[in-house]
Amino acid sequence: MKILDSFRSALQSVVVNKLRSALTMLGVIIGVAAVIAMVAVGNGASQSVQSSVLALGSNLVSVTPGSQTDAGLRGAGPTIQTLTLDDMRAIQTQLGPTIKAVDAEQRTGRWQVVYAGQNWNTQVTGVSPDYPIVRDWPLTSGDFFTESDLNIFAQVAVIGAMTSQQLFGEADPVGQTIQFRQVFGTGPFARARIINFRVIGLLDTKGSTFGFSRDDQILVPTTTAQRVLQGQTKTVDTIVVKAASSDTMDATTEDVRNVLLQRHKIAEGATPDFTVTNQNDTLAALSNITATFTLLLGAIGGISLLVGGIGIMNIMLVSVNERTREIGIRKAVGARKMDILTQFLIEAVALTGLGGILGILLGYGITQVVQQIQSGLLVIITIGTVAVAVGVSVAIGVVFGLYPAMRAASLHPIQALRYE
Amino acid sequence: MTDSVIHLRGVTKTYRMGKDNIVHALRGADLDVRAGEFVALMGPSGSGKSTMMNVLGCLDVPDTGTYILANEDVASLTDDELAAIRNKHIGFVFQTFNLLPRLNALENVELPLIYGGDRHERRERAQRALESVGLGERIHHRPSELSGGQQQRVAIARALLNDPAMILADEPTGNLDSRSTAEILSIFQRLNDEGKTVVMVTHEQDVAQHAKRIVRMRDGVVAGDEIVEQPLRAEEHLATMVAAS
Repeated sequence: MKILDSFRSALQSVVVNKLRSALTMLGVIIGVAAVIAMVAVGNGASQSVQSSVLALGSNLVSVTPGSQTDAGLRGAGPTIQTLTLDDMRAIQTQLGPTIKAVDAEQRTGRWQVVYAGQNWNTQVTGVSPDYPIVRDWPLTSGDFFTESDLNIFAQVAVIGAMTSQQLFGEADPVGQTIQFRQVFGTGPFARARIINFRVIGLLDTKGSTFGFSRDDQILVPTTTAQRVLQGQTKTVDTIVVKAASSDTMDATTEDVRNVLLQRHKIAEGATPDFTVTNQNDTLAALSNITATFTLLLGAIGGISLLVGGIGIMNIMLVSVNERTREIGIRKAVGARKMDILTQFLIEAVALTGLGGILGILLGYGITQVVQQIQSGLLVIITIGTVAVAVGVSVAIGVVFGLYPAMRAASLHPIQALRYE
Repeated sequence: MTDSVIHLRGVTKTYRMGKDNIVHALRGADLDVRAGEFVALMGPSGSGKSTMMNVLGCLDVPDTGTYILANEDVASLTDDELAAIRNKHIGFVFQTFNLLPRLNALENVELPLIYGGDRHERRERAQRALESVGLGERIHHRPSELSGGQQQRVAIARALLNDPAMILADEPTGNLDSRSTAEILSIFQRLNDEGKTVVMVTHEQDVAQHAKRIVRMRDGVVAGDEIVEQPLRAEEHLATMVAAS
């Protein structure tokens, strides 16, 4: 029997039992749609996490104070401030040619910022001159800090696009003077500090990371943050090193570690008072999480696909039973076992294949609706997902169609012909 | 043996019905049918008539004995080989017509060619076969839209399609009125006149009288074999019926 005839016969039988075919296919449709939609959401989540991390700058190795690798009682570890601006300078001089840039950052908390009667509350961070290179973050106007700004604790600021929008509207903030205010105490004892800063640069728009706008911040020189805003002289929160390329990140991580071990006079094998984190590791850990998430979502869809497959098997068994006479007739006029087997297999595959295609369309529709409802959500349907969905639904047709088809093929022609 | 279409020697067949009930359906049956014969196979129920049919039609293989059909030994063939033999050498006509309800007349007739034969001439040959049994027009009707006689003619056209060595008819007129019976018998007689070998199982004496030879079975063996001196002509019967109405 030719495959074409089998297909014709299969489609005929699908069309004749319209309602039954539709209901049977529904299981596969829902299963495939679930796989497509859920994996699309999972892929989208994975992609947006990746780009969020990379938005902080690429090829980064960051150093934070305290140890995270030690077991035992070190709960207060992360609050110990051990990193200094000199550590950053040491990294800069010792690793100079092998890294691209290095930056020392010191958060100073939130400040009330005032310009010409406009009030805005925002995060103020001390950073060093290489910040735009390290964070891949250019300026749209003005200039960034220089070494000399750091040396003289200059009261200059570079502001984020959103902060600028809040304080200056559409006007260019460069050259304007803004006031930082902080209030101490409460009630009648409340006293305010007011410090003037000159705006020298405006950062480009960057969007948000994990739901926080990165464009709402003010940058000042690290030394200014330490002395003028915080009244201390030494420590920084983070030293961020930008490696020359993604390939040299592991080497850079090791180099940074060695430089700091030496400077902090920590013996080999002792617990260091800092932690070096490789951005690749962070990405790997995150993609591990999102991959598990995607797998979980896919598995949920897979289960409905499995249930759909069992439905196919069920209905194919009914169909074989109903058409016992037909099988007998076909055998009487010369159909071999293989002919009957392929006929019923193709019928099952036609059901699941058609269901798969409809499921892909439905899954696509679901992702579109989800995107309409939650516009920020990224959903990604890849060719791979579609191919796997189609492949799996066809495979389900073969797997769950095989037993009924084998039963049909092995019917004895006489018994099949006599079947009432 | 060369002109023998069916050559059956010492054929036995035993069925096991349930645990202890063994049915000896055939106990050493012998039969020879030469090309161009029209044989009526008769016998009471339990005589082994149906089993004989199944063996002759290659739907079943004998336990012991020889069966040579159109010079091919078919007693020990596998299921698939039997299927090929059925496709090539045997045209079945059943009491209950056994047409596929979802296919129209033409598609039903085409069926044997799907399992063996050329795709391109399929439609044309099916159409010719239908015309030869007098069903040139209603070829796109489904079996449910045809009368019993017409359905049986579709079945005969299907049986003729691969130009088989013999036509095996199992009570072909059992479900038909006397007029349709006469029509079907006249088709068999005409085919036989053209040289086709026809073996017809029946339990009606007057139907059997249309054959040239009557083989009677009893208790699993051939118990009687007679030549019909003056076979009834179905066409004449048909003509008188038409005249009477």
